[in-house]
Amino acid sequence: MAKRILLYAVLAVGAFVSVFPYLLVVLTAFKTQGQLSETAPWLPGLPPTVDNLAKMLAGDFPRYLLNTAVMTALLTAGQLVFTTFAAYAFARLRFRGRDALFWLFVATMMVPSAVTMIPLFLIMRQLDLVNTWYGLLAPYVLGTPYGIFLMRQFFKTLPAGLEEAARIDGAGPLTILVRVMLPLCRPALGTLAIITVISSWNSFLWPLIITSGDDTKVITVAIATLKQGIGVDYNLMMAGSLIALVPMVAIFVFFQKHIVRSVVLTGLK
Amino acid sequence: MTSHVARTSLVADVKPVRRRGSGWHAYLFVGPSLFGVIAFLLLPMLIVLVLSLFDWELLSSPEFVGLDNYRRLAGDGQAWHSLGVTVAYVLLCIPLQTVLALALAMLLNQRIKGVRFYRSLFVVPWMATPIVLALIWSWIFDPREGAINSALALVGVTGPDWLSDPTWALPAVALVSIWQYTGYNMLFFLAGLQGIPKELHDAAETDGASPAQRFWRVTLPLLNPTMFFVSVTNLIGAFQVFDTVFAMTDGGPSHTTEVLNFRIYQTAFKEFDFGYAATLSTLLFLIIFLVTMAQVRFFGKRTTYDLS
Repeated sequence: MAKRILLYAVLAVGAFVSVFPYLLVVLTAFKTQGQLSETAPWLPGLPPTVDNLAKMLAGDFPRYLLNTAVMTALLTAGQLVFTTFAAYAFARLRFRGRDALFWLFVATMMVPSAVTMIPLFLIMRQLDLVNTWYGLLAPYVLGTPYGIFLMRQFFKTLPAGLEEAARIDGAGPLTILVRVMLPLCRPALGTLAIITVISSWNSFLWPLIITSGDDTKVITVAIATLKQGIGVDYNLMMAGSLIALVPMVAIFVFFQKHIVRSVVLTGLK
Repeated sequence: MTSHVARTSLVADVKPVRRRGSGWHAYLFVGPSLFGVIAFLLLPMLIVLVLSLFDWELLSSPEFVGLDNYRRLAGDGQAWHSLGVTVAYVLLCIPLQTVLALALAMLLNQRIKGVRFYRSLFVVPWMATPIVLALIWSWIFDPREGAINSALALVGVTGPDWLSDPTWALPAVALVSIWQYTGYNMLFFLAGLQGIPKELHDAAETDGASPAQRFWRVTLPLLNPTMFFVSVTNLIGAFQVFDTVFAMTDGGPSHTTEVLNFRIYQTAFKEFDFGYAATLSTLLFLIIFLVTMAQVRFFGKRTTYDLS
């Protein structure tokens, strides 16, 4: 019994530590500047104010939010389409150089992104794509080795008999992929989508390097710039952070099962 | 990993009914992604290698200097300092993070009321933008208004000025990373634990193995593939830490949190010394590569980790 109580105590403390910073974001976002200095950080400011959120939403922030949403949507769409095709070919089709190419993909997973940042920037500069949507999206929109690896593992678990039946009926690879395989892939596609949405929404270094104007600025960069101004306005920063967090937490709550499954899938066979 | 047997089985599970047709389609299917990998991963890698042999400050035209940048690196105290900071950061994060994640996974692999609720709560830190979290944490670490020192004050302890204190800045940054990734890694361990057949534990228990023995002799060896994945991805990630440092300390105070990746960013995009930044990048890549290879060898002796 004592063991049981200890167990729950540990879990409760852990859960609190996990959530505490988020709690501070919410509390601070709803405080006035005065309340922030008067109350302890972990106590709510009464009455709560929506001024910070309103101020953020009245400025350029919605535009950055929209930019981020567009970037996330395009990257996710690109990843789903191109990754699916490539992974299907690697898993189920036979062609010369298949294994060598696949190992090339796996090997590039090891290349640290920081190493490629400078040359990527130079390539984009050469192509005159700095500070454009093309420059922002190009490196990631054609799918990632990680995604291909994940989907390939999944395709390999599907029974071969499905394809044979379709082939006998005269279907080509494209028809088989779209009509037969994709409907079976929905859980795996969902997983891939979630991973891509989260990583795109949160991406920071590449957008920071490749964009500078308002047309392509994303929220991560916008929030970082808030801190660099003279005198940090915590209330506004937390309001911005809260706005950026809400969609991700919502997605997490809705797709919790998929996220756990994604880990089991990539996990490691 | 590319043994003859594995190759054969790879090929054998595909029935080549329409050999020619499917070959042609296959290249079309793989094409776009392959183009992406070549253009945005392999080509940049080559450029870094070439660029590291040049002196180039963006506005001037590149000048070939041979191995000069590498000679400069050898005598560059600041770069080696950054490497030292990186190693210290990795050593602060990884062991604690891994042990905590495994312990948490074992806790949450039991029959507990609301186990799903706890599992999700622990993963929540992973969900948020690193840059946002870094800003929140720099506020939590604030010496006067911050939550940590306010809590310490309640018990009569005066906390340090965390992020401005050369002793505490790096541990503070590491703490944020541990907080963020422990729950995420817990998921991997949880998946691994659930893949261990229950009969094995039952058999060990029947044979009179103590809980400690069962952990060291059954659980841990069978978790080896998970351990491999977690340690490889975490180490690669930790060597590349950037967002947290950028947002919390900007490399300071007096360079005590200036990890190599941050130094590369500074060299390239603040000092516009692209040639030398490429040399530093090559150094970082080499280190990550060697560490990864060492892990592959270390774990390879204990497991059959089959990527195909």
